[in-house]
Amino acid sequence: MALNPACQTFIPMLSPYVDGELTPQERVTVDHHLNVCRDCTGRVADLRAESGLIRHGLDLAADEVDFRDFAQKVMARLTPYKPPLMERVRISLSEMFLYQRATMVTSLVTAAVVLFVAVPTAVLWKGTPEGYARPQMMVSSVTVEKGAKVTPVVMTTDQGDAIIWMVSTEQASSQDGAQPSQEKAPDQDTGEVKKLDQTKPNGGEL
Amino acid sequence: MATDDLTLVKRVKTGDQRAFKLLVERYQRKIYAVALGMVKDKEEALDISQEAFVKVYKYLDHFKGDSSFYTWLYRITVNICIDALRKKQALRGEQVELDEAVKMDTAEANIGALGSRLGTNPQKSALRKELAEKIQQALETVPEKHRAILLLREVEGMSYEDLSRTLQIPKGTVMSRLFHARTKVQKILSEYLELDESKSGIGNE
Repeated sequence: MALNPACQTFIPMLSPYVDGELTPQERVTVDHHLNVCRDCTGRVADLRAESGLIRHGLDLAADEVDFRDFAQKVMARLTPYKPPLMERVRISLSEMFLYQRATMVTSLVTAAVVLFVAVPTAVLWKGTPEGYARPQMMVSSVTVEKGAKVTPVVMTTDQGDAIIWMVSTEQASSQDGAQPSQEKAPDQDTGEVKKLDQTKPNGGEL
Repeated sequence: MATDDLTLVKRVKTGDQRAFKLLVERYQRKIYAVALGMVKDKEEALDISQEAFVKVYKYLDHFKGDSSFYTWLYRITVNICIDALRKKQALRGEQVELDEAVKMDTAEANIGALGSRLGTNPQKSALRKELAEKIQQALETVPEKHRAILLLREVEGMSYEDLSRTLQIPKGTVMSRLFHARTKVQKILSEYLELDESKSGIGNE
């Protein structure tokens, strides 16, 4: 088939025309030619069909391959870079923030809660006497009003501790000999009093 | 949004291997398609694709980021393919094809044969296995470097500028090689389709 002489100039331009690689001016010139040349219009259609055919053909061929292990196989063949120790630590930390950001943030928040809430709570809880609020009181001395008649009242708790009240029943008008014995009453009374002395003060005791 | 190639490359250089895995996953399919178009054999194409990534990793320090990562990756892939093809040719005792010396058959195919039968969307025409094989055969008839350009253009959609950078040839050479490669492939495919049509009536719609 004899080639139209006008087409000879345009044929080499058709491939870049299809690829969108012509200058706007060249493109306009080719467009004008295509409007009047049936052969070149057919050539353009051929180029487009061929382009799609190759792309689609190779795409189908790639579809047949299972790429699931591909990256793993490549990675297994690599010799990892070994940066200096400090650099590795820095990289590990930045990687942790990069790839496990959610986990890292959750862990840090949990750590902060434990540090600032749970630990002080536990410490305070341990230091507070059962059933009593702070501040803790310590008995420094026990005195009996001069001339008073004192009777000890002992209350024993389920844990074996004792609470003792010294009840002044009446103001002695006369100086009877009860006072010394009353003052010693806690000691003479029960062993529980001694036990109380040995244990840590529970607060609220006399 | 996906992390760009250069950021991933920087991370790989600091020892972050997972960043390299992301790059492999990003390009594995296209690299394989180019390798397959070049060497035809599936297993060999897979080996070449893996080798290309391993080589890229090994020489990553040489990549300065002046060009795109993918043009560098494709250049390495194409070079490995060309080496493999030349080794095979040498083993078979064939004369090594000197690309520029190859006389191109620029005789035209039946004009409009491909376009009228396939349209611009080959998916519509239900690409058959034989046709896919014919594409491979047609590609095989094109000299290696012309084939590389054609594949990079069709598979990756590279611009002429990128093709010029990837293959380190002038833009004018890109244009002429692409033109010759297309003419040749077109001719073989339209001949096949005409023959096929006369046998089974395909394309008579």
